[in-house]
Amino acid sequence: MHIMEGFLPHPWWEIWFAVSIIVVILGIYKLKKLTEKFPEAKPLLAVMGAFVFVLSALKLPSVTGSCSHPTGSGLAAVVLGPAIASVLSAIVLLFQALLLAHGGLTTLGANIFSMGIVGPVVGYVLWVVSKKARLPTSVGVFIAVALADLSTYVTTSLQLALAFPSTSFMDSFITFGSIFAITQIPLAIGEGILAIFLFDFLVKYKGKLLSAMNVIGLRVGLQSQEASK
Amino acid sequence: MSHFNLSAEIDRYAYTNALSKNSPVTKLFFALSLLLISVLSPSPVVPITVFLTTTVMILLCAKIPWRFYLRLLWYPTVIVALTCVIIALFFGYLEPLTEVNLLGLRWTIFRDGVATGFTTFFRVAGALSSQFFLVLTTPMTSILLILRKARVPKIIVEMSLLIYRYIFVFIEVMETMHIAQELRLGYSGLLKKLRSLSMLIGNLFIRTLDQGERTFTAMSARGYDGNIRVLEDVPKPNNAALAGIMFFAVALAIVAYLTVNIRIV
Repeated sequence: MHIMEGFLPHPWWEIWFAVSIIVVILGIYKLKKLTEKFPEAKPLLAVMGAFVFVLSALKLPSVTGSCSHPTGSGLAAVVLGPAIASVLSAIVLLFQALLLAHGGLTTLGANIFSMGIVGPVVGYVLWVVSKKARLPTSVGVFIAVALADLSTYVTTSLQLALAFPSTSFMDSFITFGSIFAITQIPLAIGEGILAIFLFDFLVKYKGKLLSAMNVIGLRVGLQSQEASK
Repeated sequence: MSHFNLSAEIDRYAYTNALSKNSPVTKLFFALSLLLISVLSPSPVVPITVFLTTTVMILLCAKIPWRFYLRLLWYPTVIVALTCVIIALFFGYLEPLTEVNLLGLRWTIFRDGVATGFTTFFRVAGALSSQFFLVLTTPMTSILLILRKARVPKIIVEMSLLIYRYIFVFIEVMETMHIAQELRLGYSGLLKKLRSLSMLIGNLFIRTLDQGERTFTAMSARGYDGNIRVLEDVPKPNNAALAGIMFFAVALAIVAYLTVNIRIV
């Protein structure tokens, strides 16, 4: 979904920057409070960030001025909450622009908005809802991560359609959306399945730290695990 | 995997290119000002100038091998060219330019669609080449130092440093495991490919987290308190160079203003 450097015309890249910066600042504030209380969480946070980097570098080309790949930010949102996931995504997107020339500096705002804000928020909300509905943990993680991935792409299509409207906004939204759908639906399912395994691993080995960090999503997850025992 | 070698290679060039001893502030200023001008410029004239300037700088001043630069360029160029063709063919609606006959299908091409396609292509070319200039000449650590000087919150700089380190741990662990899997007949068939890949990604996370925690324990034992203090022997920006870049940027901005009405179609 990384929109390429220079692809978005003025004034769209400025608008997405303005929207994203607010959320990222909120995330920085939360991250600061969290790491002051739990410095031992830093390696986990950084590995999570590096993981988002590696996942979203596994890219397939897509003829939309963008590309198709797993995002990894859905899992980060389920484990760490959407605010922190947005900061990690922002850092990762900057690195991808600077280390892989993947995504861009002017399009950073738009990319943060789709991968770092909409994706994580959708994933997190779905995760909390599926916990409330008492769905099994694995189903909840799968739904949250797969749909976080898809919603990222819907957002990218929306951003592209707003910047390049053809006869109408809807027309071009459907054009961009259907080009993405070919590659993205299988990728989202794959990412969802992978997330189930990783989540299991994290709860097993890092459950204590994560529940101490008081991440709501995970606390719900742990309770349901204990209940099922 | 070749994709990850690319990021290691870019990182290596960033440290070893002929401009690596120049002030990162100057390079950042040069890349960002050209990037902004080519993104904001409405006509293709300025982005083309920017593309030529940065390409000459990358190849002649930074002495990046042209083969490597071409390898970096061709992938985005192909994608953007295809995308812009699609924009040109499908996204116009104002005044018809020509009609083509495609196997009995009549398709009208519109002037504004073609114009948008061309401007987008050249805007991306200009912006991408200035991004490549920054990427290939400036090491990540000096960018992080500038961020620290610019009073970006400490936690962001620290997390960036840790993530930067772990990305390379990831790549290293991934390569080792990939070789081990291939030696044991991994990836030798479609189903095995999927299985091997999922094993790789799952174990990758576990191994990297493990290694990350050990590094963190070792650092804490040596008095790590959230700051990594390095000797900042970054060369000072040269005022003449800064003024020159400023002059060039202003000239380009004036050209951009004068060429607003020049269109290719």
